[in-house]
Amino acid sequence: MVERDLRMFLQYKFLLIMRGIWFVAQITLFGLVVNTMVQTAATEVGINYFQYYVAGVTIITLYSTAMFIGYDIFEEAEHGVFEYLLTLPVSRRELVLGRSIGGGLRSFVYVGPLLLVVLLILGVSNPFYLLVALASMFLFAFGVSGMSITIAVAMKSGDKYDILIGVLDALIVRLSTTMYPTLYMQRAMPAYAAIANFNPLTYASDLFRWGTGVEGALQFNPLVAVLALFIFFFSFTFVGVVFYERRLEGGSWE
Amino acid sequence: MSLSNPLWCRQTVSKSPIIQISNLTKKFGNLTAVDHLNLTINEGEIFGLLGPNGAGKTTTILMLTTVLRPNQGTATVAGFDVCKSPHKARELIGVCFQEPKLLWVSTPWDVLNWHAKVCGLTTQERKKRVKWALQEMNMWDDRRKSVHALSGGMKKRVEMAKILIQRPKIAIVDEPTAQIDVVGKHRTWNMLRELRDEGSTIILATNELQEADILSDRVAIMHKGKLLVCDTPKKLKDSLIGGDVMEVQLEKEAPDKVFDELQAFKEVVTVKKIGSSQLRLYLNQVEAVTPKIMRLFYDRSLRISSIHMSEPSLDDVFAHYTGLTLEEAQKER
Repeated sequence: MVERDLRMFLQYKFLLIMRGIWFVAQITLFGLVVNTMVQTAATEVGINYFQYYVAGVTIITLYSTAMFIGYDIFEEAEHGVFEYLLTLPVSRRELVLGRSIGGGLRSFVYVGPLLLVVLLILGVSNPFYLLVALASMFLFAFGVSGMSITIAVAMKSGDKYDILIGVLDALIVRLSTTMYPTLYMQRAMPAYAAIANFNPLTYASDLFRWGTGVEGALQFNPLVAVLALFIFFFSFTFVGVVFYERRLEGGSWE
Repeated sequence: MSLSNPLWCRQTVSKSPIIQISNLTKKFGNLTAVDHLNLTINEGEIFGLLGPNGAGKTTTILMLTTVLRPNQGTATVAGFDVCKSPHKARELIGVCFQEPKLLWVSTPWDVLNWHAKVCGLTTQERKKRVKWALQEMNMWDDRRKSVHALSGGMKKRVEMAKILIQRPKIAIVDEPTAQIDVVGKHRTWNMLRELRDEGSTIILATNELQEADILSDRVAIMHKGKLLVCDTPKKLKDSLIGGDVMEVQLEKEAPDKVFDELQAFKEVVTVKKIGSSQLRLYLNQVEAVTPKIMRLFYDRSLRISSIHMSEPSLDDVFAHYTGLTLEEAQKER
């Protein structure tokens, strides 16, 4: 399943190129301009906003590419491939785990080259921290992939999925520390910061900043963040399996 | 390599039930796609599942392969309940779908190689079988073509090759020769027979009754989700009273006494005079009664100038049970 999902992903050449352009534009245009605008404020809390933002955009890209797997599920349903997959001599558990890992892995494969550019920009102060951060990002990508599968299987409708993902994207990205520190969310509305503290994107982006040595980034004990991402990964992979079994085992895509 | 390669052999062919379906029912809203279906399929047979589109064949297959859950009833595959032990049931089944399922990878080679991997074949064995199956299905030269560039018949052959690679204990083939040319059809039929001879049980779902007649050891005819009848093609055809028709052109007119003598044979249903020296006989078990009829004409010194015989087909069986031709049944849908 992992191999198959990787191959499928590479077929989205146009989409992948566009995502790449989006990433570069976000850093070189938006990032630099906004940095000049907000740097004074960011200096208050000892942050280089450009670096902060570049790390956040990396996590957003990882998140959005890991979400692609949901679209694959609808593509398969449309072409009837789903029925074929459901008749294969593998358990549903293996099917979901394979897909979840495949979905996460392929997003990492895609983000890999971008990550190198980002590491050149941010630098690496402690290789061990970086390794911990990267391992956590793996868990994050697998978890997002599992979440995407869960939502796709729960929705069973491409249109609804598309809309929900759009809304989720707006909420989950905006209510995280990918683009701004918790402190400013706190100032805007305390509830925002409270929600952001339970957001996997917050943990992933803060850990990545911590791993690359971006100053003043980490609000949590890194172990707590790693544990939170592990719980996120485990929960959605498990929920994905349960949903897959409940919603599809013997129920197909009715 | 051939199907009789010892590596793949499962020579033990018995006639014990391998699939047992009891009261199986599937509803989609108000539509009952499969209605209290009862069937037993024996190990090592080619079992034809016949009926027009919408008869419930594919829904039955999807329930057997655990893709759909029945609303009522049970089905067991080699003793494994498809609802309680779906994974165990799936391990024994391979499916060749009516619509080829290829659109997620680039080439026939990739499709089959991945399928073989999922079926747990070792790298060496996988390469060997994929190559062999592509050659058998006459797809070797096109193995690196994009699946989008393949014709309908080529896609169907790739779909069929999955079964050849997998060699499942139970092979379910849904319209295996749809869109395939005549040569390809015969090749596919031979492969299905070889697969059966090697020990696989084959469920052949088709609306081509001639195909089912040629291949099947037993057939079940479905219509509107219900099982109409199930037996060997021969028995089904023989069950049609007066289904065999013999037209005899004599050199001279037959005396009336001969009509009575012909009518006295238990296999003769009706004798009609359709010309001064021409008779039409409606028969059962034409093979058994023909020698007797010939003997009678010989004894009565009635010389025959020509004979034309026609047997009933499964179309006639279908028409007998539904009052519709298969074409009419398709339209009725």
